[in-house]
Amino acid sequence: MALLEVDNLSIGYQTPKGFLKAVEGVSFSLEKGESLGFVGESGCGKTTMGTALMRLLSRNGSVKGGQILFEGKDLLKISDEEMRLIRWKKIAMIFQAAMNALNPVHRVDDQIAEAILAHDPASSREDAKKQIEDLFQLVGVPKDRMRDYPHQYSGGMKQRAIIAMALACRPRLIIADEPTTALDVIVQHQILEETKKLQKEFEISIIYISHDISVVAEVCHNIGVLYAGRLVEYGSREEVFGSPVHPYTKALLSSYPTLTGEKEKLEPIPGEPPNLIYPPSGCRFYDRCLLAKASCKTEPPAGIQLTPTHNVLCSNIE
Amino acid sequence: MEENNKPVLQLEDISKIYRSKMSFFGDAGKEVVALNHVSLKIFKREIFGLIGESGSGKTTAGRLIVKLEEPAAGKIFLDDNEITGLKGKALKDFRLKMQMIFQDPYQSLNPQVSIYDTVSEPLLIHKIDNVQTRKHLVLQTLKSVGLSPPEDFLYRYPHQLSGGQRQRVAIARVMVLKPKFVIADEPTSMLDASISAQIFNILLEMREKIGVTLLFISHNLAAARYLCDRIAVIYRGNLVEIGPGEEVIQKPKHPYTQALLDALPKFGHWDEAESYDTLLSMERDISQDAACPFFCRCKVANQRRCSQESPHLMGSDNSHLAACFYA
Amino acid sequence: MKKPDNVYLNRFPWVARFQEGWAIYRQNLLGRIGLALLVMFGLMALCSFIPPLIDPMYEPMIGVDPEVLCSTYPSARHWLGTDFMGRDILSQLLAGARVAFMVGVSAAFMSIVLGTAIGLIAGYMGRFIDTLLMRLADMIMVMPTLLVVLILAALFGQLNIWTIVLIIALFRWPGVSRVIRAQTLTLKQRPFIEAAKVAGASHMRIIFRHIMPNVLPLAFLYMTFRVTSAIIIEAALAFLGFGDPSTVSWGMMLQWVWKTGHMFKAPYWLLPPGICISLITLSFYMLGRAMDEVLDPRLRNEEQAG
Repeated sequence: MALLEVDNLSIGYQTPKGFLKAVEGVSFSLEKGESLGFVGESGCGKTTMGTALMRLLSRNGSVKGGQILFEGKDLLKISDEEMRLIRWKKIAMIFQAAMNALNPVHRVDDQIAEAILAHDPASSREDAKKQIEDLFQLVGVPKDRMRDYPHQYSGGMKQRAIIAMALACRPRLIIADEPTTALDVIVQHQILEETKKLQKEFEISIIYISHDISVVAEVCHNIGVLYAGRLVEYGSREEVFGSPVHPYTKALLSSYPTLTGEKEKLEPIPGEPPNLIYPPSGCRFYDRCLLAKASCKTEPPAGIQLTPTHNVLCSNIE
Repeated sequence: MEENNKPVLQLEDISKIYRSKMSFFGDAGKEVVALNHVSLKIFKREIFGLIGESGSGKTTAGRLIVKLEEPAAGKIFLDDNEITGLKGKALKDFRLKMQMIFQDPYQSLNPQVSIYDTVSEPLLIHKIDNVQTRKHLVLQTLKSVGLSPPEDFLYRYPHQLSGGQRQRVAIARVMVLKPKFVIADEPTSMLDASISAQIFNILLEMREKIGVTLLFISHNLAAARYLCDRIAVIYRGNLVEIGPGEEVIQKPKHPYTQALLDALPKFGHWDEAESYDTLLSMERDISQDAACPFFCRCKVANQRRCSQESPHLMGSDNSHLAACFYA
Repeated sequence: MKKPDNVYLNRFPWVARFQEGWAIYRQNLLGRIGLALLVMFGLMALCSFIPPLIDPMYEPMIGVDPEVLCSTYPSARHWLGTDFMGRDILSQLLAGARVAFMVGVSAAFMSIVLGTAIGLIAGYMGRFIDTLLMRLADMIMVMPTLLVVLILAALFGQLNIWTIVLIIALFRWPGVSRVIRAQTLTLKQRPFIEAAKVAGASHMRIIFRHIMPNVLPLAFLYMTFRVTSAIIIEAALAFLGFGDPSTVSWGMMLQWVWKTGHMFKAPYWLLPPGICISLITLSFYMLGRAMDEVLDPRLRNEEQAG
């Protein structure tokens, strides 16, 4: 049984201008110890999906359909209390710009201890502090910095503290939303290396959300490409990034300048993403797709399975 | 791509120091050296990349060149004319030739001003032509940055445009004066990949069409590789390497550049081991300031020499230099 | 990317903005009440010209009903009664509304113009000029306005209404200038200001073309608060006997009630001006609070996408 199985998930937001269909019909699965990366540009729905998995959608957001099966239980059907027990203990989340989530007037170890004690009232403060010591060693923050305030930490250290907090209860799954975007290249590399190490050591599954494909490719063995709320391509890293099939994936890859190999002219994708309040009835990538046929405009694209692991949402594949 | 040997822009021994004011935790009057005796030359029609991480001083360098701030020491020359002490009319003439594209397209356009007014303002300030010609110039420039049809955009306001469109307006505002030199300060760090790609291509086109010289400031080495003829790497206010773009990326000489390249995720070559391995896992603990700025993190440093002598930019051939004794 | 609805809206975005703002304002209960009250007072002010036209005895200042010799209760001829001299109270009330608006709005307007100009210059120029102007503002701010005006009145005798307006403006600009200065300081750092500098804009151009339009909404907001204080100061001055004797204002009416000993004998004379003063200041204040809600999100930075 897979650790996480998402089936046909659809999520939307109620806005003053209408109902915004942010995520539509997304399905994927994640085994224990695996890492899955979601890439896409702003507005594609990846952050929405990440927060929905923890049932932390903002007040105007709602899940319109589908299932989220975590260890066999549908997270959308359980009570708030049950979900609260799962959060942080079994599934932890690292939000975007999480380092700003540290309270500036409390010491770092106090904050983390509070989180630990909130989820495990049985343990004592001393135990919690000991745990924090171990965690900090794990993530590479010197022990003598535990009693500092957040502003005394550098960006990289703050992010490591956040990771330590996420690991505090030894969760099975961590959802990380742009955890390294605000960090420098070298610090980012160190944190990614540590993430990979921790993942192997504790067999934690990771869902990594980012707009930076090279970072996602570093950490994740499986990739999902999101466009305008739909999962347009899904498969192993080698399949999706090595031999992409969907026109959007191909176009996205050719918008990134590379460090190695031939220097090719960047081909940006013309046009703009569609309005998700009134999304087109056919394929959402239609007006920007170079392969588009007339039928793509009106008929929704077909989900095609190229290999047991590689899926594409496109009617145009030979 | 040196057209002739006279540089368009020259920085001679530029230094900039910031003094922090009284801080709550007693950091009163601490000095931060943003730029430490930096010298470089940029030639006509070049796209020159200044690459560094945050705090490296790259943005400061841009601001000094465009005269939003003044250097603490050193001189800057535009086409042989010293611009370091300019005032009054000479300063205004200088502004005609030197422009800047800012990082944040959401903040670099006045939200109360229409696109037409924003792009035509430089023309108004420098009293170029009359209303008719100005409107024509604005339309032409908007078209050249890909905002088509330009008439549609004239009377819109920034909040009605997307991030990519706003950045194009910012580029139009800069290019409408047909400047000699443009500084692009992280022009795409707030934009998505496909929009960034559009912006890069616009910058390349501008160089072709107007013959402008470009200084591209960024932390993104891959983008620099795509755009730049020459690249300079800056670390904590010091220029550590400078050379032709492709060479600096494929055959870096300075340990810091090598560490940067090691750290960058190499798309398509996952799980490959690091090739250079020049970074210490923990910083060296030293009591006094070492001479070489990278000494504290450098694996290949010589304990005696590198902590006492400060390396200048050196190299066997004149085009690719690195500030390291062991490059 | 929104497609513009029509070219007219494009050219005059204030119209669209105003509509947006109005939609938010409308939902605020306080704002609606305040606006309704203000409209009522506005109508009162406009109607103040009517009574004297009907009959010269309704002249607020000099019109005297020949049949009446003392303060009388409301009747068919005098809807709110008459004062001790036989003058119609309603006409006085209407005239008072006109004076309240005049004084309130002019004093507020002048103090805003002064305060905004000083705040802009202090914020933009910084350093010595900033310190100088702000210390000046501090000194004026701590001076009790009313006391100073009373002293001036005692020295120079009765003051003309416009002199009073001027003095109120001169004492009330510091509060505005502080706020405008703070806003200017934040705006100064924004990249679009730096972009204007790099384009070669002069200081004047930056202040008036770039900073001022972003600061004006705040200035207008503060104007509503200034109006309340101006009206109260004028009323207080008039009540204490230092107002302009040739102008009928609500404060002046209260002074007459008091001076002629009718405080507890003539509620129809005492209550209307008192209630009006309270209500008009309340309504301006409510207007200001509702406007705050409208303007606040706009003063913040634009939201970034994704």
